[in-house]
Amino acid sequence: MTTPSHPADDSAELLPVATPARTRAALRALIRPDRGLALTGIGVLVAATAVGLLVQPLLGRIVDIVADGRPAGDLTLPVVLLVAVAAVQGVTTTIGLTRVARLGETVLARLREQFVERALDLPADRLERAGAGDLTARVTGDVARVAEAVRSALPEMARSVLAILLTLGALALLDVRFLLAALLAVPVQLLTARWYVTRALTLYADQRVANGAQQQQLLETIGGAVTVRGHRLERQHTERGAGRSRKAVDLTMRSVNLVLGFYGRLHIAEYIGLAAVLIAGFWLVRDGAVSIGTATAAALYFHSLFGPVNAALVLLDDAQSAAAGLARLVGVTDLARPTEPVAGKAEPAGAAEPAPVPHQRTGPQQRTAPGAAVAVDAVSHAYGPGRPVLHEVSLTLRPGEHVALVGTSGAGKSTLARIVAGVQQPTAGTVTAPAGAGEPSVVLVTQEVHVFTGSLAEDLRLARPDATDAELRGALSTVHALDWAEALPDGLDTVVGEGGHRLDPARAQQLALARLVLAGPALAVLDEATAEAGSAGARVLERSAEAALSGRTALIVAHRLTQAVAADRVVVLEAGRVVESGPHEELRDADGPYAALWRAWSGSRTAPHP
Amino acid sequence: MGADTAGRGVIRRAVAGQRRDVAVGSLLGACHQIGEALVPVLIGLIVDRAVVRPDGGALAIWLVVLAVVYTLLSFGFRFGARAGERAAEQAAHQLRLDVVRRVLAPHGGAEAGRPPGALVNVATEDARRVGAVNMALTLGIAAVVGVVAGAVLLLRASLPLGLLVLIGAPVLMALGHFLARPLQHRSEAEQEQAAHASGVAADLVAGVRVLKGLRAERAAVDRYRATSQASREANVRAARAAALQTGLMLTLTGSFIALVALVGGRLVLSGSIGLGALVSAVGLALFLPGPIGMLAWVGAELAKGRASAARIADVLAAPGETTGGTAEPAAPAPGELRLNGLGHAGLDALDLTVRPGEHLGIVVTDPADAQTLLHCLARRCDPDRGSVELDGVPVTELAPDALRSVLLVAEHDAQLFDGTLLENVTAAAPAGADPGPAMDAAAVDEVASALSGGTGGRIGERGSSLSGGQRQRVALARALAADRSVLVVHDPTTAVDAATEARIAAGIRRARTGRTTVLVTSSPALLAATDRVVLVDGGTITAEAPHEDLVRDHPVYRTAVLT
Repeated sequence: MTTPSHPADDSAELLPVATPARTRAALRALIRPDRGLALTGIGVLVAATAVGLLVQPLLGRIVDIVADGRPAGDLTLPVVLLVAVAAVQGVTTTIGLTRVARLGETVLARLREQFVERALDLPADRLERAGAGDLTARVTGDVARVAEAVRSALPEMARSVLAILLTLGALALLDVRFLLAALLAVPVQLLTARWYVTRALTLYADQRVANGAQQQQLLETIGGAVTVRGHRLERQHTERGAGRSRKAVDLTMRSVNLVLGFYGRLHIAEYIGLAAVLIAGFWLVRDGAVSIGTATAAALYFHSLFGPVNAALVLLDDAQSAAAGLARLVGVTDLARPTEPVAGKAEPAGAAEPAPVPHQRTGPQQRTAPGAAVAVDAVSHAYGPGRPVLHEVSLTLRPGEHVALVGTSGAGKSTLARIVAGVQQPTAGTVTAPAGAGEPSVVLVTQEVHVFTGSLAEDLRLARPDATDAELRGALSTVHALDWAEALPDGLDTVVGEGGHRLDPARAQQLALARLVLAGPALAVLDEATAEAGSAGARVLERSAEAALSGRTALIVAHRLTQAVAADRVVVLEAGRVVESGPHEELRDADGPYAALWRAWSGSRTAPHP
Repeated sequence: MGADTAGRGVIRRAVAGQRRDVAVGSLLGACHQIGEALVPVLIGLIVDRAVVRPDGGALAIWLVVLAVVYTLLSFGFRFGARAGERAAEQAAHQLRLDVVRRVLAPHGGAEAGRPPGALVNVATEDARRVGAVNMALTLGIAAVVGVVAGAVLLLRASLPLGLLVLIGAPVLMALGHFLARPLQHRSEAEQEQAAHASGVAADLVAGVRVLKGLRAERAAVDRYRATSQASREANVRAARAAALQTGLMLTLTGSFIALVALVGGRLVLSGSIGLGALVSAVGLALFLPGPIGMLAWVGAELAKGRASAARIADVLAAPGETTGGTAEPAAPAPGELRLNGLGHAGLDALDLTVRPGEHLGIVVTDPADAQTLLHCLARRCDPDRGSVELDGVPVTELAPDALRSVLLVAEHDAQLFDGTLLENVTAAAPAGADPGPAMDAAAVDEVASALSGGTGGRIGERGSSLSGGQRQRVALARALAADRSVLVVHDPTTAVDAATEARIAAGIRRARTGRTTVLVTSSPALLAATDRVVLVDGGTITAEAPHEDLVRDHPVYRTAVLT
């Protein structure tokens, strides 16, 4: 009927995920243009951390001054230095964090732009096979996860790792034995990290699935609230929502317990390291190897490590989840770019089918105004082995001719429409259609309406970015939509789409037809573009469609036979084959499939011929 | 202001509902903070008692004390945080259900002016944020205890040093808060801009098929790039503000520690405190930024929680589409439907009686009028003039849910739900009823045979694995299987092919024999199968006769259904 119906089995072929090596390479490529920013950002942060490490020795020096009972005036220098350190640390940290954030945001923007570009470039049949959900999940969930990591995890991770490394270095400078004592905590920390990460991965994956399920359930229930109330399904839906929410809560609590167990183990590591450093201080002071101030500084150094170590370890899973998201994004940005949508390789749809013949279009032939000839030659198509839809369909459209395609559900009308529109590659056969220079030569409008978020004018300009306001108005006027469009709160500047002014399906479809007018193709393919509106709205839309198609060659998939009446010629498709072709009156009076269809549709054998 | 007050009520209930966990979390969290405060003190003590004059025995004893403190703080953290998180999650869960219940409440109205996505956001994100207030509270209380514990420890060691920290810490907090405030406002605006970019991307991807049909991929990418860059700049500005705040806080705390060290050092030199007290003081001054920073974070969380609570309160308090009506319809309902001078929006003085068991077709030339009529019948709005009566009782006197258990208005765009085909068909059916006849009548058997798994096959989110025509048939079967005394169906077959439509017309007739059935449609096939057709043109009834007669005699009608 509409799009080739997809069985609800699990045959959906998800989009690829990049390997870790490929992800790292892609990341390097993304950062490369901003290498300078990366280096200076990290450099300044290193400086900030290093300056901060002067605090403990300065405090140790104060302890020494006090322990030695030196004059109070001697305190002034280290205290002033402490203030200076604080000031320098504040300034450098600000600069470093800003640079790292700029780097992160720039790289992130680059990544998401590449992603959207590739996603929109994917061949239509590839999209169909993957299902829209996969792509949407990546563009929302994965982009958000990577963004979150870039915004919070990355800077904190960078600072923590720097603090850990430099503090350990500083401990070694005080006395290498302090470093050795501190490192006693490391085995426990490593074991803990491994323990945590192995568990966290599956648990967080489950949690994401549960959150997704909850989100989907809520969207369904809330989006369908009218249906739920009307059919008295409130209890079912409240229970479903409660069940999904409960499951998400339970999984969240399990991850909370995991994280808390993780911290509990880290506390043990902290204690071991701290006790070891204190014992080392005890030995070293007793042997006269270091001063009391140095021992104090060492203990304070180790104490100051707690925060960064915990932060770095707990960020491991953020980093991991971001890496997983990144791999899913790179999986798409890495997909081989099809040379051109039209010449794109036909996907081998079914092994049982004959070898796929590439979909051809005769060369860059000049646009023939007002319409263009289309020749469909022996086109066959199958959505998989044993699921043939079209059998050697041949069809010719004269320039400017309007052909209505009718037939029962599953006859292959939509598939043929998509193939003629060049959106779908046939398994076999060729389509010769106009190839325009610059402007799209063929536009497909289906019953799937989508109003893009933004102003009405912006929505229309997707079809022709350089259209003037007058042209926009002209297109709207052609499809009889100018009156309501100008009556919107802000006219053509009214924000429509998700979260904006809601357009009913008929108006949304008129908008789609206005886009068609703006795109100005020689060939237009309409696939039940009037079905969504309800019967009374459909008539309005049919008038809009007629106006939009005037002067173009058009293939119209019709279920309301009024569209067939208005067309120059009717082609009846049955089980993937053309069974009848001719003007409406001729077929209606013949005793064929179309006549039967007409009688059924008009609801009465005695209905007068309009 | 009203929403703010109501928002406070939402927060109060969220906290009160979990008071036990909040109390336990705060208490154990306080233990943790005290432990954290004791660690630097103990470091000072160990230096003082065991290192200055090396004493192995004292070292051993104090290390055992340190172990005890570690056990205390670890235990307190672990179980305190667990209680806090549980309180947060439970409260969010409750709020989520409250929002769902309000949206599904019989009087409706919660969706007015809120797209589904925004409402879902309220039920998930806003509920989570309000729930998180519980966690923030436990952490906040624990942090206050931590600051106080640190101060007390200092006061015991030295009165002036303790006072310095006691006064200095709040000043530092206030300064941090004061500095963060304008930044916070700005970053909120920036975040909105950033969220916009992700919305645009999702929107373009959702409309990818439309873009492809239009060959507008390039234009869409160009537009996205502009949005993405604007978002990038907004985020960089927000990050710069946050970095500035971090840097300022670092400088402030660093200077504060220097001050403590200076005063402490002088006190030791003057002999009023011991060396250990100085080390402890410095350690505590290093510790205190932790709980102080925590308090700042808690403040931010509470602010977010308040904003979210106001949005939740707004939804919960949304006015209904209709008000009043408590009566129950007669049971079993004979199913007589009467319009008495009904006037609303474009409709004017509609008088009509649908006899019990009659199959009536209504052709409405203006789609908006059809919508209005359906809304009045389903009590999704109450009419300005006149009334709709069910078995002699005005529907405005009936409770909307009770009305709908007798009268079902199956809207044109009725939604299907994730689950199997059979689950969808039987969703509204009486328990144990055979769905066979309804499925047969709506030609759902063809849908089932095309679906892998047949009637047990899953149809996906909102029936996404079905085509438009298949979805319409399943929705119709659901309405027929619901077996209500009165069924009103709106354009059930607009995406169904002509042959199937004729089959469905006969099917509806068969499945609803003897039951009041109203078909609001202009499909000739469906209208031909009714007893009588009413034409509503220009908001009033202009003709009334069987379909064939009207087709023959009435030009307006002929235009309406056959062209």
